[in-house]
Amino acid sequence: MLTATLNSTIYDANIEAVLLKIEGLLLTSYRLSRRAIAVLLLQGDEEIHKIVAAQDQKNYTHIQQLIDQTQAGYSESLHFLLSLQRQKKASFLSQQVMSTSKELDPSLGEHLSRLTLRPLTGIPILLLVIYYGLYQFVGVFGAGTLVDYLESGYEATINPWINGLIDSHIPWLVMQELLGKEYGILTLGVRYAVAIVLPIVGTFFIAFSIIEDTGYLPRLALLVDRVFKSIGLNGRAVIPMALGFGCDTMATMVSRTLETTRERIIATLLLALAIPCSAQLGVILAILASQPLALAVWAGFIVLVFLIVGFLTARLMPGERPSFYMELPPMRWPNWRNVVTKTYTRMQWYLLEVLPLFVLASVLIWLGNITGAFQQIVAWLEPVVNWMGLPDETTPAFLFGFFRRDFGAAGLFDLYQTGLLNGTQLVVTAATLTLFVPCIAQFTMMIKERGLKTALAIALFIFPFAFLSGYVLNWLITITGIKI
Amino acid sequence: MDCCPPKSKLTFQRLKKALRIQQSNEKIDFHGQNKLILVGTPNVGKSVIFNSLTGAYVTVSNYPGTTVEVSRGKTRLTGETWEVVDTPGMYSLMPITEEERVTRTLLLEEHPEIVLHVIDAKNLERMLNFTLQLIEAGLPIILVINMMDEAERLGIKIDFKMLNTLLGIPVIVTSATRGHGLNLLKNAISEYQQTSSLGRSVNQYANRYA
Repeated sequence: MLTATLNSTIYDANIEAVLLKIEGLLLTSYRLSRRAIAVLLLQGDEEIHKIVAAQDQKNYTHIQQLIDQTQAGYSESLHFLLSLQRQKKASFLSQQVMSTSKELDPSLGEHLSRLTLRPLTGIPILLLVIYYGLYQFVGVFGAGTLVDYLESGYEATINPWINGLIDSHIPWLVMQELLGKEYGILTLGVRYAVAIVLPIVGTFFIAFSIIEDTGYLPRLALLVDRVFKSIGLNGRAVIPMALGFGCDTMATMVSRTLETTRERIIATLLLALAIPCSAQLGVILAILASQPLALAVWAGFIVLVFLIVGFLTARLMPGERPSFYMELPPMRWPNWRNVVTKTYTRMQWYLLEVLPLFVLASVLIWLGNITGAFQQIVAWLEPVVNWMGLPDETTPAFLFGFFRRDFGAAGLFDLYQTGLLNGTQLVVTAATLTLFVPCIAQFTMMIKERGLKTALAIALFIFPFAFLSGYVLNWLITITGIKI
Repeated sequence: MDCCPPKSKLTFQRLKKALRIQQSNEKIDFHGQNKLILVGTPNVGKSVIFNSLTGAYVTVSNYPGTTVEVSRGKTRLTGETWEVVDTPGMYSLMPITEEERVTRTLLLEEHPEIVLHVIDAKNLERMLNFTLQLIEAGLPIILVINMMDEAERLGIKIDFKMLNTLLGIPVIVTSATRGHGLNLLKNAISEYQQTSSLGRSVNQYANRYA
């Protein structure tokens, strides 16, 4: 069944002889075959070296000598050499069993694939995807039409009904405020989650699942590889970044696929700082959509921050620079069943995660309110907020933002509807909220993936940085005299 | 720096629960069951095969590197319960990234009855390299040549019977997203199990000859 003949013909005679010698020196038993252990030893696999050094102590020095002697006979590394010889064998095998019957005309998918990769055509395509997929579908339809409908419905029908029920059934003011009134679980927590965040996230997940299923993302990765390299990331990092627009928590987890620790840290930092999540993005799009200039200033500022911080971190952080290698999957029509399942599972996950947290946030705010802590923190934050040229009323939105990014954005949406903020203030609040601390879930994931120290360092950097940026943006807008 | 304090997994577990996947480091009692591990480079369809074997849902996407965690599920084949393990992508037996290390540790520490090496039919030449390493390692391999529909569209034909003879391991051809070949795969798994339980672990076999 397993062919000893196959094994004996993979490598050249010299290597084979060395492998046999090493195999003979391995006296204890391993989970993998002796042959595989010998090959990995020759290739310089550190983990296997450690295991063998521990298990076969007596012979290990001898094995090490054998490896060194063998290496001395070649100019290339043994790792490269063995891989090459194995690849020769693989090529030989595949030539024997595989045939390409005809030269097919490149399909429509391939044409499209090429167009997405060339900067000249790729950038317009990217802009189209952003315009229709994000701006029109998520921003205008999801965050505009759907949210308007649900939100005004909720406020006009459900809130009065809940408050009425509470008034007539619950005599204690404290309990009334927990469930209803201004910051209650049902009137604020559930409303934010269901009427503001859900339609935005829902439309985003639909758009994202479609884009994802076509195989567009890896092409985007190749397209922006050059930009990313200048900030110390390879194009592969596009995927966590793109996922970040869905949910930064999920994206932080996926940053694990990056090759070097350095890249993972840079990606984690940028995700926490400059990538808005879908709900946040949707709300911001909805608020600023009526003023294209405001939207442009916001987007330009965030991109600028992303590039500057990325660039500086890449300069400051020691470590090797990554090389890029990525498999390009075929460009294809999205499979609708895939899109539906993906959207569904993401929504399910999101709701399970988001609802309890929104409720928790309501409870905490309620607790803060009755103990006076909420007012105290608001009072501390107010000078900072005023310093950025914003009115006191924006402070709670920042506090909300700490619980969840989207919660803060939803708070901002509330403010926007009251018409309290002028154009500049809207832009400054939106930008600061985008940069502002990662939400609790994302922070937890940062600790899990990067360790407590790194996570804390990132959060401590972001907190003052966001407010400073808000100040700078306000100052820039004032000094340049842009009328928003 | 990449290691994780176990306390901070709350959100994560909720996510896992939502996806109906059991967390890898939870001790689940799979005692006395057959174990099957899926390995292969990213984006070859491991998760699609995992889903169709177990009926669970793991995120499937058209870009490499979606699976960053080990997922486990159960399936029944010809009256026996199998634990099925989906792994992050892996390019070779010698790991470079964190996820690859996870997969190798899994191969080193668990005792799979079967390892399914899933490869992309369009890139046979490059992917057989890893197959050779797995065979070298003496692991009980079934080779699954997936995405055959896409390869056929490019005019590629593969003589899988011949490959079977040359490699000396079972070779199955599938187009998992369309559900083609999955029954053949299930049969191959049951068959493999029956034959290898006669000669017991292939691992020992390989070691004897090494």
